Amino acid sequence: MTSYALPKKKTWPVSMASFETHLELLQRISAGDEFALRELYEAYGRRLYAYALRLTGEPALAEDVVQETLITVWRAGGKYRGDGRVLAWLLSIVHNLALKTLRRQSILMTDEVEASLPAPDDSPEIQTQRSEQTRWLQQGLQSLSPEHRAVLELVFYQGLSLEETAQVCNCPLGTVKSRLSYARQHLRGTLIRQNMEEWR
Amino acid sequence: MNHENFEELLLLYVAGQLSETERAEIEAHLLLCADCRADLQLWQATSEEIGRANRALSAPPNLVERAIHEIHAPNRLAAAFLRTWQLLRAQAFLVQREMWPAAALVMFIGVGVALIAERASVLYFLAPLMAASTLAMLYGPENDPGLELSLATPISPWKILLARLSLVSGYNLLLCLAASLSMLFIVPPGLLGALILGWLGPLAFLSALALLLSIWLGTSQAITITYSLWLLQYIPFKAMGLWFNSPGLDWTMLAYQQFWHSPLLLLPLSLLLVGLALWSANQSAFRLPGALG
Repeated sequence: MTSYALPKKKTWPVSMASFETHLELLQRISAGDEFALRELYEAYGRRLYAYALRLTGEPALAEDVVQETLITVWRAGGKYRGDGRVLAWLLSIVHNLALKTLRRQSILMTDEVEASLPAPDDSPEIQTQRSEQTRWLQQGLQSLSPEHRAVLELVFYQGLSLEETAQVCNCPLGTVKSRLSYARQHLRGTLIRQNMEEWR
Repeated sequence: MNHENFEELLLLYVAGQLSETERAEIEAHLLLCADCRADLQLWQATSEEIGRANRALSAPPNLVERAIHEIHAPNRLAAAFLRTWQLLRAQAFLVQREMWPAAALVMFIGVGVALIAERASVLYFLAPLMAASTLAMLYGPENDPGLELSLATPISPWKILLARLSLVSGYNLLLCLAASLSMLFIVPPGLLGALILGWLGPLAFLSALALLLSIWLGTSQAITITYSLWLLQYIPFKAMGLWFNSPGLDWTMLAYQQFWHSPLLLLPLSLLLVGLALWSANQSAFRLPGALG
């Protein structure tokens, strides 16, 4: 087991003290304080954008989604009941808006269509630098549906629990687990298909 | 704990979301299970890949300003209503001004004749003719004093046409409704609905046809054709000796008169013609030389 970099218990990026601060931020936003909206964006902007980009795959669409999220927070900040982390609430808004945008744009692509797309157009230098395994893993991630990418992003990057992930995706806990299981099989299958023996 | 439980926990293990006890348990299992070790490697690689991609990102700089700008922008629905109101108001001044009093005068005279003769059918005869002539003069170079002004605006020709159509048709309807109410002096209130329904279908159809023909052929041709179609039902061919004793032709004449008394057929046909007129207004091939757009 010593070959694995053993993960330690992650500290939440938003502590209890900052939770109260951000709760207060939402109250100030609902009272019409524009500066509070800027503070909230400073605290969460990068995470919200990362999640929106993970779902939409288009920087311009992701920006529109985050902008709409800020507008929704401005109008509905007072409705936040404080029954979960502010981050999970914000991500659930991003999630809904991103999926709505994708539906509207009719670019919800099937796995097959996405899988047929060429690899991301990184420069040849970057591509050669990156190991084969990482490249195929990246392609495997891109060929997942937005819903499957969402659960991986929420758990691994945003640090959400499975229950919070279910809350953000507005689906039962069982669905989150089955999506994770599917994602595991899909990624493993992608790597196996590329003859990477270590994944067999 | 069985293998399936560990599969689920592995993900949380990589995400750093397990307690000390859970971690110890899973680490013990990993020593024995090759499948879980492969999964662990997969999740670690996935987590690193997602983290690597996100680390390269930064929050776009102007999003708060864009959001605040959008928040303070006027409500879209209110803005749409305001634009519609401004368009209607502008077009009210641009249609032929003589049309308003002329239409009112025709209907006023018609009401006078109907009351004196005690014949409400005068209204049925007159309302479609009045409406068709106003609609035929709605559009086109010969009727549009504000042509240059309209050309200078970014509004599509069909929107201008729709605005004028709404204004004039609304005015015509009001005039005819007022005229129908005046008929209460000579018809019982129970027949008012039938009276209105009687002129509504022909008025809508003839107006829509006049509008379409005015775009395609010009105002005078539109008026000539629509008036001829309307008056055809009143021409006593038999009495004039022009009608041969043919049951087929007799039946055709009856069916033609029946057509003008079928509002359920005339109203949908009118909508179709209006749609065609709006579409034609946007197609340069159908527009008369010098027309809008």
